[in-house]
Amino acid sequence: MKKTYAYIISFLAALIPLSSSGQEANQPPDSVVVVPLKIRAGLEISGPVIYFTNNSMLNLEGFVTTDLNEKISVLLGGGYSDYSYSQYNYEFQTKGLFFKAGADFNLLRPEMAEGKYWAGLGLHYGLTRFTFETPSFKHENYWGIVSSSLASQTNWGHYVEVSGGFKAELFRNFSIGWLISLRKLIYTGADKDLRPVYYPGYGEGGRSLSYGLNYYISLNIPYKKIKVKIKPEPVEEPSGDEETEAPEDSSNLGRQRIGR
Amino acid sequence: MRKHIIFFLLVAASAATLLQTSCTPGSCFEETNAYVKATFYLSSKSKAAAPDSVTLYGAGKDTSLIYNKRTSLSQALMPLDASTDGCTLAIRINGVNDTISFSYTTSSHFISKECGYTFYHTIEPPAFTTHIIDTVTVVKNTITTLSEENIRIYY
Repeated sequence: MKKTYAYIISFLAALIPLSSSGQEANQPPDSVVVVPLKIRAGLEISGPVIYFTNNSMLNLEGFVTTDLNEKISVLLGGGYSDYSYSQYNYEFQTKGLFFKAGADFNLLRPEMAEGKYWAGLGLHYGLTRFTFETPSFKHENYWGIVSSSLASQTNWGHYVEVSGGFKAELFRNFSIGWLISLRKLIYTGADKDLRPVYYPGYGEGGRSLSYGLNYYISLNIPYKKIKVKIKPEPVEEPSGDEETEAPEDSSNLGRQRIGR
Repeated sequence: MRKHIIFFLLVAASAATLLQTSCTPGSCFEETNAYVKATFYLSSKSKAAAPDSVTLYGAGKDTSLIYNKRTSLSQALMPLDASTDGCTLAIRINGVNDTISFSYTTSSHFISKECGYTFYHTIEPPAFTTHIIDTVTVVKNTITTLSEENIRIYY
């Protein structure tokens, strides 16, 4: 009998390390991905293309971003806009510089992004310094047509921008991408009665929100590599309950049968 | 993976371009004239009441009537001349003639990209004759495109 107890205890004691080593085997260890952090210098390309088809709007824009880690990069951007518009009752012209600063967040997992792909959101603060004028406008009412003009004035504009889009490395260290941006003007020094039709960097001023679609190309310069731990997806072990549990529909059917 | 991502990139960019190019400028649907909005009041009862008939035109423009024997007109829209700092309107209420003279300053106002510019005014208390008009009071002296009462004509 004593021998039997000793055998059982020693068998159980032998099982314990076996079972614990078995659990570790089911949970794969954290893997590590090497992500290159990059400095990107890019240009917006739709502005010059649009200018060739419509020379009333020139928009030149560039940016520099620096990856802080695999998810976040900081952005500094700027550009120049020259915009004119005319219709049957007025002409409008504006030009000026704009600057942007903010952060971009890559929502792709590091092992998917590989330092080459970016799908995410950007939050930017924009500042524009612009000059605008209305060389002529006319207004007609019962008394007749009155023509007038508004002298040139220079103002600041402040806005916030939320962008979402996609960028991909087409070739080694060369990316293309697009961003849809939603902008909200938060301050303009212009008279509220004489709001500009268009703000450089912001877009049309008549609406409470402005949106834009931009296409970018960029050169990417890797400056550092970091190791990012990738937590593996937990492996779901099939449990006995799931195997034995009847499907909901069939259980309902069963209940119906019982009810009858 | 790389092919899928680039394919998605191109398809999304094309769709977005179509979306952008389909957004053509709209037409002007906003009010573009800043009228003096005048409400008629019966002075005997001090309550709003439309006259039996109203005729309105600019002084010296009697061939171009703004209202011609209009009935049930509770609020008249009176245009001001933006090329000067004053104008006179002739008004005939229930067949009796009067005039109302406005003095004002004028300023430019941007309406929208589609509509362009208009003129706003700031009026002084108007001068008027008193054949049928009892008095004219100013409720709001800034004349804009907004729908708000500017003067009351008691008759």
